[in-house]
Formats: sequence, structure tokens, C-alpha cells
Amino acid sequence: MSAPADCSTTFALTEGCIVLSKKIQILLFILPAIVLVGIFVYGFTAYTFQASLTRWRDVGLGGSFVGLENYIRLFTRDRVFKTSLINTLKLTSIFIGVTIPLGLLLAVLLDLKIKGRGVFRLIFLLPLSFSFVASAAMWTWMFSPNIGSINAFLRVIGLEALTQPWITSEKQALICIAIAYIWQFSGFSTLVYYAGISGVPPEISEAAKIDGATTFQRYTRVIIPMQKPATLTVLMILLMYSLRVFDLVWLMTGGGPGTSSEILATFMYRTAFNRNRFGYGASIGTIMFILSVIIVIPFFLKLRRSEYE
Amino acid sequence: MKRLFVVFLVTCFLIAGSVTLAASKDELIVYHWWTAGGEKEAIDALFEAFLEEHPNAKIVENPVAGGGGGIMRAQIKTMIMAGNPPDTFQITYGHGMISSFASVLQPIDKLIKGYNIPESVYEWGRVNGKMYGVPLNLMQNNCLWYNTDLVEKLGIKMPIESIYDFLVVCSKIKEAGYVPLAVGAGMGQKFWLGTLFEAINSSLPGGGADFLNEYYAGNIVPSESSVFKNTLQVMKTLIDNNLINDDFSALTWDQAGDLMATGKAVFYVMGDWAKGHFTAMGLKPRVDFGYQPFPGSGGTFVGHADCFVLPVGVNKQLAKDWIKFLTTVKAANTFCPIKGAAPFVLDAPLDVYDSITKEILGYFRDENVSKVLSQFGAPPESYLDVFGTTFSKFFNNPVINEDTLAEFDYAYEEVFGF
Repeated sequence: MSAPADCSTTFALTEGCIVLSKKIQILLFILPAIVLVGIFVYGFTAYTFQASLTRWRDVGLGGSFVGLENYIRLFTRDRVFKTSLINTLKLTSIFIGVTIPLGLLLAVLLDLKIKGRGVFRLIFLLPLSFSFVASAAMWTWMFSPNIGSINAFLRVIGLEALTQPWITSEKQALICIAIAYIWQFSGFSTLVYYAGISGVPPEISEAAKIDGATTFQRYTRVIIPMQKPATLTVLMILLMYSLRVFDLVWLMTGGGPGTSSEILATFMYRTAFNRNRFGYGASIGTIMFILSVIIVIPFFLKLRRSEYE
Repeated sequence: MKRLFVVFLVTCFLIAGSVTLAASKDELIVYHWWTAGGEKEAIDALFEAFLEEHPNAKIVENPVAGGGGGIMRAQIKTMIMAGNPPDTFQITYGHGMISSFASVLQPIDKLIKGYNIPESVYEWGRVNGKMYGVPLNLMQNNCLWYNTDLVEKLGIKMPIESIYDFLVVCSKIKEAGYVPLAVGAGMGQKFWLGTLFEAINSSLPGGGADFLNEYYAGNIVPSESSVFKNTLQVMKTLIDNNLINDDFSALTWDQAGDLMATGKAVFYVMGDWAKGHFTAMGLKPRVDFGYQPFPGSGGTFVGHADCFVLPVGVNKQLAKDWIKFLTTVKAANTFCPIKGAAPFVLDAPLDVYDSITKEILGYFRDENVSKVLSQFGAPPESYLDVFGTTFSKFFNNPVINEDTLAEFDYAYEEVFGF
């Protein structure tokens, strides 16, 4: 009787071993993930697109094929779609435009090794740990014109003239939501930048110091320019998130007053589940998907290029 | 040994999972949206009464707060689409709302045979001649609630007879430094503006049953209706003259009710479930707060009900027993007094109800009062969201012109035409 073959190192055909090439082994390991992502991401994306081509108005019945009718209505007749598209882009711009510089600023402040920075770090990062429901309840209360803490504070310090209607105003509701999102995500942006700044080799900073650079110059001329990969990472993650935000908007204003804070995601939900226009809602979802791809892909390619560089 | 342990663990998880997914025949999975004061106590009492008759049963309740049931209905739809409906769930009673779900519901005519309610109530809920929901509690929507202390303090004579008198009184209240009329339509509850619309409409010439029945059937184009425009005009008067609280977009219905209950506002327009909320706060009907039909709308009863339904595919006897139980006097008289509603069942003794509920029931049973099914039951479900949003836009920019009316026409077409 011969000794059993050593299969642990066998990649070629050997007697007594189940032989798989290394590529097949790798494939087998990632197969479960491929199948799940294939079904639950790509499969359902395709299903959503297919549903968007139907007139589907009954929860228990499927839709009938209507081609591109839903899309045509969205772009030619729908009075809310254009508003929600513009609001989505506005919210994204404000959110990204403030969260990234704010995160960078806070990260620099943390890096300056000022006294008590541990406390500041905790304060900056704490909002990240809040659930959206809790922060929505908190901000809704703060922005309430009559019982809210912001207006109450303004009244206490004698600045009643500056009190605002906040989330009850068509002009201010979206800004209030943006502030809540910025508060919640600035900690994430700070975290990424802080990691990026901490990763700058100390000798580079030291060399700049020896060359006579001030602290301000060291940050603006040396350290911050080196944060391009961190910026791209934060930008891409926040962009992907902000284009499909739903939670805080839904919980704080429900898209109101009127449609003043309606965004694509709330409009899609409302259309599909409150109005029973499942096919029409799917067409809004497809537009959101296309919009995300168009906006995010260039940044994704840029990020990949910068990784290779 | 290690491998055996892993297999054991996986088996345990699988068994636990399958046990969780397949609820036993003694479990009744119920979805409802009663979470506010008064409502919660009422459904708890109802469950308790049911369990007295089914001591081995267990109720797995899933209360989903918010949106006047809109959030729960959305959740139910996803469960139905996934082929996993609960054993029973709550929706508002009315042919419009029920027809939105009818394709996934079982007819329950046989189960509720002998339910002693007026034939007109059966008609409210029939879809294609069949009953899909068992109505539990009668609610009046065109109610005006008032703070008795403030009314006395300000010398307001109640009841107020007409909408015009009401507007005059509101102006006086405003001058006295109080909020005349509390409104709450925030946090995804814009549809309450539709309840105010119904109350005001019912007080105007040409409004009420004649208008609302046709309007909710999709037969009236808003811009072509002088009654619709007059109703908007009254709403505009309330807004332009600051006769409502300016933070209505930030308050839920119960928070707006609290303005009246705590003496910040004098009046509040809301269905009679508000009474359950007030009594849960410790206030006494007729002592701390009063009621009258909305001024000028006494000839119209705008109402609706809540009902429970039986989804297709549910064959559990316990679920059928639950539907049958809801037709009993015991169920009505356990639930309705706490909820602040009136019973449908004609042979229910009324001694457990307060005088306001008896008065409301008196209106409902009065043949001279026209009955109208409200926005929660008569039109398709989408009406609540579409018109809630359109009314909200109007309340924030109360201008009546061609653009405004075109917005309402568009909304109407979206509900009844699209």
C-alpha cells in the first residue's frame, strides 16, 4: 500500500488528489460573493429597469409593458420630478461642498497637537455614531420655529429678530437638512483626512521646517497637497451616498413643506409605495442609478489612476 | 470534533431560522399603526379581550408608527410582494382604499355574516360587491375641538353656527394673543390638511356630501368647481390672517392637538380619535375640552373607519377567528370607548361611551344628516399623498390663480387619471 499523496502543494494532475488550478480555487472562494452580488445588486437593478417599462399600479398584480412611457412622462409632464432632481443636486453640492473642507480643517486642527485634542476628536467623531432616526429627531426639534432650541437661544440672547421658520419654510428646509447631514458626516471626512495627514512621513514636514516654512505654509504647501487620494476617497463615498440620501429628508420634512425638500429618493418612495405607481417609481430609481453612474464614474476612474501613479 | 461542532452550530441556526420564519398556528401576526395616546391603550385592550377567548394564542403585534398608517401600508406592500404577508393588518375602511389592496385580500363575507351594522356601512367598503375588511370603529372627521377654559375666558359663545362666524371669532382670538386654530401637518402628515379641507368644504354652500361624493369619485375637476375654489378661499383667509399656528409644517396631529389641550390654541379640527388622545392626557370631555361639528357642517357627517383584512394565502383559523371576533359587541365596546370612537354595531350598549361619542353617534344615525366617506376611505390611496403635498404647497404659498388651480388639476389627474 502506497503512502497518500501530499495534496496541499499539488496543482497538477496527481494520483489520489482532487486537483484544481489556482485560478479555479480562487474562483470558488469568491463564487458565493459573486452569486449574491449578482442576484441582489445586478439582478435587481435589471429587474427595476424592466419594471420601469411597465404600467404597474396594483400591489398584487404585475405591470403591463408600456415601453418608455414612464420616462417620457417624467421628463415632459411630471411637476415634481424636476424639483426633486434639482433638490438632489443642490443637496449634494451643499453637503459635499461643506463636508470636505470642514473635515480637512478639523483634521488639521487635530494634527496640530493642541491641548485637549482627545476631547475634540471625540466631539468631532461622535455624530458618526448617531443613528439617523435619533439625529433626525434632534435636528427637527432644534429647527422647530416655536419650540426649537435654536430660536429659543436667539430669543434668550436678545436676537429675536434673527429667529427663522427653519424647516417650516420652503426656502430653508433643504438647507436645514443639509446642515444635519454635514453634522453627521463631517466626522467621517475628518477621520479620513486625519489618517491621510498622519500618514505623511515626518521627514517631509521636517525638511519643510528646516527650509524655513511656517506651520501654515507646511500645511498649505506640503501636507494638504498630499491629501489628493484622501480627497478622492471622501468625495466618491460622499457623492455615492448623497445622490441616494433618504433617511434624514424623510424623517425631518417628508419632502415638504410642499415639495420644497423633495429629493429623488423620497419622490421614488412616495411614488411607488404611497401612490402605488410601482413602474413609475422604478423609472425614477433607474434615473437615480444613471445619474449616480454619470457623476461617480469619472471620480472612480480618477481614483484608480491616482492609485496606479 | 471541531468539524462536528461547526455542523452542530450551523444546524442550530437553520432550525432557529426556520422556526422564526414559520410562525406557529397559535400565533397571530398583526400589523397596525395605533401607537399614539388612546389608540395604543385601545388596541392593547382589544388584544386582551381576544386572548380571553383564545387563551392558548399569542399575539405578535407589529405597531408601525407614523404617516397615519402610510408607513405601515408601505411596509405591508413590500411584505406582500415578497410573498410574506402578515396574518392580518389594519387599513382604513372604504372602497377606494380597499381597492388598492383588493387583489391580495380574501373576501370575508362569510366570516362576518350577521355583523349587525347599517347596510350603508357595508356599502362604504364593498369592492366589486364583496367585503374585504371588517370595520371596527366609526370616526367623525369634521369635528371642532375647543379648549373650554379659553372659550370661557375669551367670552366665545359655543356652538358656533357658521364658517363666517367662525372666522370672526378666530380674528378676535388672534387679537387676544392666542392661536385660533391649531393645525399639524408635519413629519410626513401633510394629509391632515385634507381633513381641514373636508371640514371647511362641508360648511360651505354646495359643499359636503353633494360635492365630496362626486369629488372623491373622480368626477369634479378642481379648477372648474366654484365650491372647490371657495374652500381654498377660506383656507387662504385662515393662512393670510395668521389664524393658524405658523409651525404647522413641523407638528404631527397629536402635537397640534396639544396646542389646544395646553391652552396655547383655542380650536382644533381633527377626527374624533383626538378625544382619545386628550383623555389619555388626563383631560375630561366637556370639562376640559368641548366638541361640536365644524361650524356650518352639522348637516354632513364626514367619517371613516379602521378595518382589519385577511390577506390571500392566510388560512390560519386564528386569523379567521380574529376577523369574526371584530364583529362582536365585546370587541366594539372594548376598543371604541378607549380609542374615543363610536361603535358601528347597532346592538352595542352605549352606557360605556361618553356624551361626546353618543352625540357623534346621534349624528351618524340621524337620517337627516348626509354621510360622506372621508379622504381616508373614498378615493384611491394615492389621494392622501398627492393632495397632502398639493395642499401643503398651497398652505405655504396661499395664492389662488391659474397656476395654483393647474397644480390641483394635475394632482387630481394623477390620482384619478394616471
